[in-house]
Amino acid sequence: MAAYSVPAGVCTNYFNIDDILASQEKVPCVFNAKVAALGYLDQSTTDVDLNVGTKLELPFWLARFLQKGARNIVTVDTPKTYKEGYRNIFTADPNVVDLHRLGPFFYLFGGKLLTLQLPDAEEIADVLLKTFQGRFRKIMDGSQNALHADLTSQTSVLDDQERHLFAAGQDSLHGFHRWEKRETEKLSTSVMVANHRKRKRIGAMPTAS
Amino acid sequence: MLAEKALDLIRELQRTLSGTLSPYNEDKIRQVLEEMQNLYDQNRDRAHYAAGQADVFAAIQLRHAAIQRNKRCLLAYLYNRLEQIRKMRWEFGSVLPSDVRYNMCEQEVQWFTQYNRQLANYMKTIGESGGLDLTQDMKPPKTLYVLVRCIMDHGEFETQDGNIILLKKNSQHYLLRSECEHLIRQGILEHLVH
Amino acid sequence: MLIKDFRRDFYDVLQHQRVLILVAFDVDALCACKILQYLFQCDQVLYTVVPVNGLQGVENAFLENAEGIKHVILINCGASVDIVELLQPEDNVRFYICDSHRPVDIHNYYNAVQVKLLMRGEELSVPSYDEVFRDDESSESDTENDDPELGGKKKRFDDEAILRRQERRRWKENRVKLLFDYTKFTSFGTSAALVMFELAWKLSKDTNNLLWLAIVGVTDQQIHYRTPREKYMEDVLALQVHVSRHNQRGDDDENLLSVNCLRVSFEEELHLSLYRHWSLFDSICHSTSVACKLKLWSLKGQKKLHEFLAEMGLPLAQCKQQYSAMESTLKSEVKEKMQTFMHKYGLEIQDIILPSFTMQYGYKSVLCAADHVMMCAALLESIDKSKMLTDYFLDGTEVLQRSNQEKMDSGVDAAKHQLRSMVKQIQSFIDMHQIISAGPFLYVFIQEGAADSRFFSHPQCLIRLARFTLEAHCNVTRNKRARILPLILGAPLMNEEGSTLVVGIPPLDTDDERKNFFGKAFEQAAESTNTSAKFNSFESHVIEMKSEDKSKFFDAMIGLLQ
Repeated sequence: MAAYSVPAGVCTNYFNIDDILASQEKVPCVFNAKVAALGYLDQSTTDVDLNVGTKLELPFWLARFLQKGARNIVTVDTPKTYKEGYRNIFTADPNVVDLHRLGPFFYLFGGKLLTLQLPDAEEIADVLLKTFQGRFRKIMDGSQNALHADLTSQTSVLDDQERHLFAAGQDSLHGFHRWEKRETEKLSTSVMVANHRKRKRIGAMPTAS
Repeated sequence: MLAEKALDLIRELQRTLSGTLSPYNEDKIRQVLEEMQNLYDQNRDRAHYAAGQADVFAAIQLRHAAIQRNKRCLLAYLYNRLEQIRKMRWEFGSVLPSDVRYNMCEQEVQWFTQYNRQLANYMKTIGESGGLDLTQDMKPPKTLYVLVRCIMDHGEFETQDGNIILLKKNSQHYLLRSECEHLIRQGILEHLVH
Repeated sequence: MLIKDFRRDFYDVLQHQRVLILVAFDVDALCACKILQYLFQCDQVLYTVVPVNGLQGVENAFLENAEGIKHVILINCGASVDIVELLQPEDNVRFYICDSHRPVDIHNYYNAVQVKLLMRGEELSVPSYDEVFRDDESSESDTENDDPELGGKKKRFDDEAILRRQERRRWKENRVKLLFDYTKFTSFGTSAALVMFELAWKLSKDTNNLLWLAIVGVTDQQIHYRTPREKYMEDVLALQVHVSRHNQRGDDDENLLSVNCLRVSFEEELHLSLYRHWSLFDSICHSTSVACKLKLWSLKGQKKLHEFLAEMGLPLAQCKQQYSAMESTLKSEVKEKMQTFMHKYGLEIQDIILPSFTMQYGYKSVLCAADHVMMCAALLESIDKSKMLTDYFLDGTEVLQRSNQEKMDSGVDAAKHQLRSMVKQIQSFIDMHQIISAGPFLYVFIQEGAADSRFFSHPQCLIRLARFTLEAHCNVTRNKRARILPLILGAPLMNEEGSTLVVGIPPLDTDDERKNFFGKAFEQAAESTNTSAKFNSFESHVIEMKSEDKSKFFDAMIGLLQ
């Protein structure tokens, strides 16, 4: 296939949609320096400037830029879901957590946080790994064994990357079954065309009725 | 907040399903560009007296970050749309469905035409005699001929040897695989394997 | 023209050509088509398959697809009409007709250039060429035209001319009589599927799969009352030879067929519809012969059946559950016990036993040929309104594909549904005394809007219903003449309001000849009354007409048959 695609979140790609969305997640910041004329960013005050000590939730891309190196305009704190309280929950039983609600880019954003030189970076890295390890078996189980079942209840609590993983597992499962039934040689309508047609039909329905 | 509108564009991309192309959001893009222009103007005005004033300098840096962010979002928007259009060339063939074409902006149409031309030229140059159709045999072919069934009325179809076949819904044909592979991929024929 | 050597004059000619195959809507035709498709795929002959429903369909399909086509194969259609006259093809188009309908139109038979008949020659008793065609016809008519002038001029009688004219008149009379005798009865010859299978055999390309298709084709002829029992037995014997050739490989373990292969075996089958996929009880209630003999639609009949089952030692609870879940000891005894006790209940051996074949594939349950026919026929004549006629055809094709379990199941369901509504319909015929004797024949009409009448707007199903009805009627009526009366059955057409599909079947007494005179009779009745009946079907004893013309038409029929 000619199309070149980036596996979501594996590497940070400038054009990657998931990466852009993940870097929009908010991080609590405290300003170390006064910033002129940008008071409107803090909706709780009417000051013209952003004063020292202002606490603000900034998107990751901005926080990282302002914190980086000599700039040091803000001090970054760990977001709530990666703090100790949540970390304990994840370590206790990673399988019960709804990562989609907490994420949905839990791992991707978590990985980005590690570049912020937070004091608890090591613990965060640890908990990301452990959470993934803990949940991986269940994801694999589900994606490799459910052939026709409705899986929305299972996939709805998955993080975005986990969903990709789950879909890949399902894909290979269906591929295997098609191979078993000797259907692999069958030429089929391209998925894109089929989707396009389906959409068109849905779109056409209201006018028809 | 800064760069919110640019993010809307990205969200729009995320919502788009494969097989469709959302309308080129010219309006949003103009708004984003305006925001960038604003931020840039402000920075330029203040750059003159920023020296030594830490708070002004910090503000400039913050705005600059926002400009960079906006730029990234815009480029990602355009790039991902092009990717989608390119994929469509391989899935739909050289002529895109009218609703897809309708949603493309003028430059995208131009790009598509050029891509089409380059691909065709490239395919003409490779292979021994008269080129090689790369869009064919996406799966390794097992047989020279295939049995197909017509899923929809398609009208007449001329085969390479000059015969004309009427592709009417539910008729079955035994045809050269190379001739009908495109039609199968476009969902006009169904391949019957037994 | 009849083809002697199928291989040389038919198969080899088609190599490297593009072929159009027109297939009628019956199970036999489908099987034949599948066999032919397999052969063509072996040799990479390009083809197009178009299902055709009726003569109009043949015409349309030919018009639409004929471009660039030089070879047209017609399966189970086209033999009984002058195909060249109907389609007006170009001179280089050849028609190959593999059709079990008889009689074959004499023009087809004697057209040596454009029409090739793929059938067994010994089955046709076509009048000899000299009796129906005269080569000197043109010169004859010339002289005839000239005659009056000559006579006028010379004013003398030419003895020779008179003699010639007399002889000619005699010949003409003789021709009309011969043709009438020839076309008086319609019947069926060897199944198209069997003919195709024999071709495959001659090409050494026969497989167990193709054999099964041939078996299904032959069984279809039996199920739809097309061929006499002797003819069926003859074909079964021929098939049995092939079956043992393909399925026996010596007794040692090494040579055993793998379970993953298709296995076909000859069996004295219980002649009960779908019993392997139903409960024994239901199956008995929906099988023509047994249901009619025991009058199973009445309370008394039901009691009798209970008695019968009790005497055989089959617990009712077992009989009413899925046959596949029945106790295996009971299952193995059913056939034997039925034969032991049947005479007491007035049943004959051929009511219960049908020599037939079964197939097994993998570990799935056994399927018998008759059930496969029913499944396929039910899908071919489905009542699913969301689908087109051609969709039915494809469903039918797929159900013949043994690996398609999903379609098989839907076929079983459709067949059961069809049988249930058939029995319900017959019950209402009998209970309401709707079967009326018109003197020389019986007739009955299904009311428009009656429940399940949609099933009966298809010809094959209607024919089966007619046969079932006639048998049921003969078993309840006190009229001793019932067995020598034919039956006409009419049903409202699903798609066209105000139209009726009419079928005529011969009386039970002469039933086993499977000769039907209604084709000619319908034609004459329609002619004499100017009814706008449509003779679209390949079977001439099935016609369509306007409902309001019914009484007029029937008066003519009574006059005709008296």
